[in-house]
Amino acid sequence: MNMLQQTLRLLWRDWVLEWRTRYALSGILLYVFATIVLVYSALLDIQPQVWNALFWVIILFAAVSAIVKSFVQESQQRQLYYYSLVHPLALLVAKMIYNTSLLFLLSLLSWLVLAFLTGNPVKDTGLFVLAIFLGSMGLAIAFTFISAISAKAQNSATLMAVLGFPVIIPILLILVKIGANALRLMQDTAIGGDIIILVAINLILLSVSILLYPFLWRD
Amino acid sequence: MQKLIRQHWWKALGVLILIYVFIAGMLIPLKPGITLVNPSSTRTDTEVVVEVEGYNTNFDQAGESIRMWLKMDDERSIAAQQIEVLGPTKAKAAFRIPAYLPSQQKVQDFALIIDNPVDGATVRPNAVLVTQDSIDQELGEQQWKNDPLTNLHVRDGITFPFRNILGETIRNTYFHVSLWLAMMIIFIAAVVYSIRHLRTLSLDYDYWASSLTAVGLLLGGLGLFTGGIWAQYTWGTFWSWDIKQFTTLIALLIYLAYFVLRRAFPDEAQRARISAVYNIFAFVALIPLIYVLPRLTDSLHPGNGGNPALGGEDLDNTMRMVFYPAVIGWTLIGSWIASLMYRSNKIEEQLMDQWEE
Repeated sequence: MNMLQQTLRLLWRDWVLEWRTRYALSGILLYVFATIVLVYSALLDIQPQVWNALFWVIILFAAVSAIVKSFVQESQQRQLYYYSLVHPLALLVAKMIYNTSLLFLLSLLSWLVLAFLTGNPVKDTGLFVLAIFLGSMGLAIAFTFISAISAKAQNSATLMAVLGFPVIIPILLILVKIGANALRLMQDTAIGGDIIILVAINLILLSVSILLYPFLWRD
Repeated sequence: MQKLIRQHWWKALGVLILIYVFIAGMLIPLKPGITLVNPSSTRTDTEVVVEVEGYNTNFDQAGESIRMWLKMDDERSIAAQQIEVLGPTKAKAAFRIPAYLPSQQKVQDFALIIDNPVDGATVRPNAVLVTQDSIDQELGEQQWKNDPLTNLHVRDGITFPFRNILGETIRNTYFHVSLWLAMMIIFIAAVVYSIRHLRTLSLDYDYWASSLTAVGLLLGGLGLFTGGIWAQYTWGTFWSWDIKQFTTLIALLIYLAYFVLRRAFPDEAQRARISAVYNIFAFVALIPLIYVLPRLTDSLHPGNGGNPALGGEDLDNTMRMVFYPAVIGWTLIGSWIASLMYRSNKIEEQLMDQWEE
């Protein structure tokens, strides 16, 4: 098998595993409902500004809870077995693609549920979908790599939060801004520049992860 | 490197430079300036008596030789008809504002210029705003009696520029800004050592990387602290969620996380390798945080949201004479601290080895 085939195979395996347990899917639905009920009972009315903040908070915590298990769910011995079968980079890239697609789907799902419960304030649907996609990609790349780092230690869930949150702040700042534009909370003619920067951050993080992963996986 | 950390010349140089920075940065006086002009607005066709408060000025020594103008643009200005000196920093000047101004604007701004042989010439832009009762540019030009600025004096001696809001706090440039630049240099050095560690897996490089990162964190904390003090005087609060303050805080959190990560691994080789990987990853994530995002958003800092950037008029040649040495001085002192930490790490490692035997 070449690397592309290996990647696709691993991607398929990850999806099958998720579909059997539906751990992330049910988790995100719980997040969305719990957040909405809490905020709704406290505020009684969810303004577009609050909606924008809520949405990205939900996505952030969904990303953490979904991605933290990327490298932790399998034992060290089984990891070693995978590395003997496939190229290590194929494993990393497959995890990143899987996490991106999972997070993208989860975001669309939580958007749907949020819109159902509070109404849909999104005016520019195309821009918002683009923000969700680029955001899922950025969060998935950063958190997958951080989870690969923290999986090497005990108590990796806490470590991942400590390492990961500061790193993804730039992505979140840009996402909130694009989100506010898509909700017409602000009008920025230079929003194309923000999108390009988001794409650039994603690509830089991706290439650094690929460069550094060979030093990380062996033990 | 091993040779260099045993030599003393660069440590002495760092200390000397910093002593110079503290002495020169704190003791060189500011240029004379104008802190208050009252009233700051008036109407046309009036005789206005303006009360002026200077800073670092010597009006009493200048006495009769003091002259003042209200300057409208590069060609037109009105000289004061009468000047009364009330003290070294206080004076009153009477100006005659004509009935019509050679301007189409409803409100025309005038800069106040004071010149005397002791202090040299000082300018306050937008000092007096004149509201025109009726606008007639041609009549204004016909009736205009111009008093050109002549024989302006230049003050002797070394001074720092006077800026209206900044005042004496302009000296913080040598601490806040140069600490910040030194921190960036130290962090870049730490990343270089992390890369070298990954290439050679030598623990020496890991000690260097962690020591340099700790020093960078210290310099960054000091930079944030001095910035907070500066903000208290110029913006009114220590912390105003300015984008640069925010991103700096996040940057320091990233490097604090680096030390949390190091604590999580008992095995030295594994700790060194994984923290080197995180250090490089975090530095790459830091670049958009520090260099890209602040340029996209409004900020109170110079160089953002229409504020003038560092350089140009803000950093004149006298300030450069102190500012650049300050950057070098902080970097050298930082390197000295890092080399001490490196050596103590080495000794600790050797003692641990002996103890295990």
